[in-house]
Amino acid sequence: MARARAALLILLAVLLVAPLALDRYLLSVMILILYFAFVGQAWNIMMGFCGQLSLGHALYVGLGAYTAAALYQHFGVVPWVGLLAAVAVCVAAASAIGWLAFRFGIGGTYFALLTIAFAEFTRIGFDHFDWVGASGGFFLKVAQQDRADLLNLRGGPLMFYYLALALAVAAFLLSAWLLRGRLGFYFRAIRDNEEAARASGVDTFRYKMVAVQISAGLTALGGVFFAFYYNNLFPEQIFNMGRSIEIILAPLIGGVGTLFGPILGAAVLTLLSEGISEALALSGYEIPGAKQILYGIALGLSIMFMPHGIWPALADRLGLRRSDGDDDA
Amino acid sequence: MPESTIAADRAASPAALPMLEVVGASKSFRGLKAVAQASLSVATGEIVALIGPNGAGKTTLFNLIAGALAPDEGAIRFLGADIAGERSDRICAAGIGRTFQIVKPFADMSVLENAMVGGFRGTADRRLARARAEGALRSLDMWLQRDRPASALTLPDRKRLEVARALATEPRLLLLDEVMAGLRPTETDQMVAAFRRLNAEQGVTILLIEHVMRAVMALAQRVYVLHHGEIIASGTPQQVTTNPKVLESYLGVEAGH
Repeated sequence: MARARAALLILLAVLLVAPLALDRYLLSVMILILYFAFVGQAWNIMMGFCGQLSLGHALYVGLGAYTAAALYQHFGVVPWVGLLAAVAVCVAAASAIGWLAFRFGIGGTYFALLTIAFAEFTRIGFDHFDWVGASGGFFLKVAQQDRADLLNLRGGPLMFYYLALALAVAAFLLSAWLLRGRLGFYFRAIRDNEEAARASGVDTFRYKMVAVQISAGLTALGGVFFAFYYNNLFPEQIFNMGRSIEIILAPLIGGVGTLFGPILGAAVLTLLSEGISEALALSGYEIPGAKQILYGIALGLSIMFMPHGIWPALADRLGLRRSDGDDDA
Repeated sequence: MPESTIAADRAASPAALPMLEVVGASKSFRGLKAVAQASLSVATGEIVALIGPNGAGKTTLFNLIAGALAPDEGAIRFLGADIAGERSDRICAAGIGRTFQIVKPFADMSVLENAMVGGFRGTADRRLARARAEGALRSLDMWLQRDRPASALTLPDRKRLEVARALATEPRLLLLDEVMAGLRPTETDQMVAAFRRLNAEQGVTILLIEHVMRAVMALAQRVYVLHHGEIIASGTPQQVTTNPKVLESYLGVEAGH
């Protein structure tokens, strides 16, 4: 474990100085990786740790983004305060969905369908929500790219790079901390066998709610980041089901339920996607859809050969322990 | 007996207070009576066995006590409080630990982590949970297997893990559902010895469903026999195994001859 800790610190140090060596394009790629590592980590708490499948996490990205952006644009509330409201809104939404599902015993794929349904309702609702521009989109004041105004989150890619890095590190530490303590044990017990968890003293309703709330609250932060980084929000995009799938791809490919899976998955997927684009551009052929097909083939192969994800396969190869929960056992 | 005498009796010997009392409990599934008017009691510190042919309703009765199912009628009292229909996590918190006949390990967690889930009962202190889990695993000779994933265990070991996880909750009453099935005689004897130690040293009261008569005879002070959901006999193991009604229903008519 000491070795792993040292490796992580080295990785962090590299990431801290990386912008010195990166051009604007590569910096934006790194921001994407860190963003997907972050939201992947948030989703992973709910599904990977606690076994509750959400296919509608775009809901929390969108609600978080719109809440903070609207408060900023309409009332001048700084995003650092707005994010508290964003988290509150998303935790409330997650609580409502969780309560409906868990109180009435809706689990598994039915729960996943419920999460999709809520994301879709909300998308349609926001399409007609004039206060935030409805389907025409909602736009933040254009950022001064040369100045980093951290208070108002107005600035260039460098500022957002470090924000994304801070988010990713925080989500990683939170996940590691969760796994060590009672919450992590209870989440995993629920994931593996709910009835046995109950018999072992776990109030499964309560802890499933907690998992969903933590996951939604974190994802809300991702939404705030998204809003202030991109400066424009469209319901058709942000609440899109495709966005929900994007969020879960990183942990899925990297390794569901592991600490490193979401990070590794985000890096592999983003680099793969960007790499295919670059390679196609260099080859000079313009074949519409070729990128998506290659990307899909790569995902298919990875799932065929590493059904538990890249990280568990890699950890086995490197002789590292797969269990992330108990390092001093 | 006048009430005052009962009260005096109880005051004189608190150990005689029933820890668990099931009074006229019934449970039907679509009209089929799985448990019919079953009554039993287990005194503090006792080891009691519940036997009966397959399908007699033993596991259903366990599920009623442990809160996995709510009885249609009847009372279930644990330490004087009615727990009928209470949630199973609350019943666990009250001090009843159970194992499942069809084992339900947390498959992607290690043996130690499985037991630690139980160890977290009533505490968020990881060290305490780990200490409880360690104690439970050691008393069942599973400590050396602590880092193995539960999914890699053999069936008898999974049964032992069920017991360890329940024990780690530090129950006052342990419900064991056929934990010796599939064990070799020497392993059965080891487990019997482990339960005796738990009972003697930690004062754990035990109610067990068991088909392995070797274990029942060695452990149980009293035995209840369930047949078609009804308690048809009770008494010491010797009394019960010579009861003609029991021989007929449980061991089959042939055995009675």
